[in-house]
Amino acid sequence: MRRVIHKIFWIWQLEKEQAWINEMASHGYSLEHAGRLTFEFEETEADLYTYKTLFLKGWADSEENRKYLKFLEEMGIKVVCYINYPGTTWIYTRALKADYPDGIDLFSDIDSRIKGMRVMAGYMIFVMVMMLSATLLNLWYAFGMGHFLPLNFICASAVFVLSVFAAIATVRLFVNIGKLKKERAIHE
Amino acid sequence: MPQLALTEAVFYILLSLQKPLHGYGIIQNVGELSNGRVKLAAGTLYGALNTLVEKGWIDALPENPESRKKEYVITKNGLAVLKEELDRLSELVENGKRILGGN
Repeated sequence: MRRVIHKIFWIWQLEKEQAWINEMASHGYSLEHAGRLTFEFEETEADLYTYKTLFLKGWADSEENRKYLKFLEEMGIKVVCYINYPGTTWIYTRALKADYPDGIDLFSDIDSRIKGMRVMAGYMIFVMVMMLSATLLNLWYAFGMGHFLPLNFICASAVFVLSVFAAIATVRLFVNIGKLKKERAIHE
Repeated sequence: MPQLALTEAVFYILLSLQKPLHGYGIIQNVGELSNGRVKLAAGTLYGALNTLVEKGWIDALPENPESRKKEYVITKNGLAVLKEELDRLSELVENGKRILGGN
């Protein structure tokens, strides 16, 4: 039986989204398709799959990403679906829980963890710049047209709040990158 | 200039590729060699394999149409690097034992 759930996860909530999808899988609902606001689950046995959401630079079907995803498939990690965003792709993958009982971990050393976080941080900065530009544009419309436009002011406020969340997530990423770099100075 | 130390992952990958292996085979072999202590993750392995191919330390073999899995094998350069690293590690162990009095 298919179950459709409408839910929003922002770009900085990748881990929260992944945890939720895995929790659904643990209750016997395996993700089959994800859109920007919808998640479609198929009823299966509980804990059949474990899921991992990835963040890749460029389109999913770019040559580099196709090679990477094919390699993951050889490891038993298959693409369920993906969503393209400007300059990046959000990919939902899964593997049999029997093969990956501790979950899918794509990075097992400090350098590759840092590299993965840098890709994410770079995109977060891009998102923040876009949001702040949208905030300024809406503020300009709200106050700069000779009369006050409340709708644009509300939009500017909402986008600004989102950009603050994005900024917090970006700072957290850089703090974690800094911690890993210190760790790398004494450990591999 | 002396060679920089290899990461544990690279050392075990080169050690595993004395015979052709595909990605999953490398992960399994590294796990067995290290008695389960070293667990290579797929993303880390992918990055390491690409870098090692670029450096000419391993070769990517033509894809087997039956398994459709790409296999890799160590090159002469890779073997030389591995032996050099082994000498470096031996020096560490010998000095450690000499100073700490281990066996």
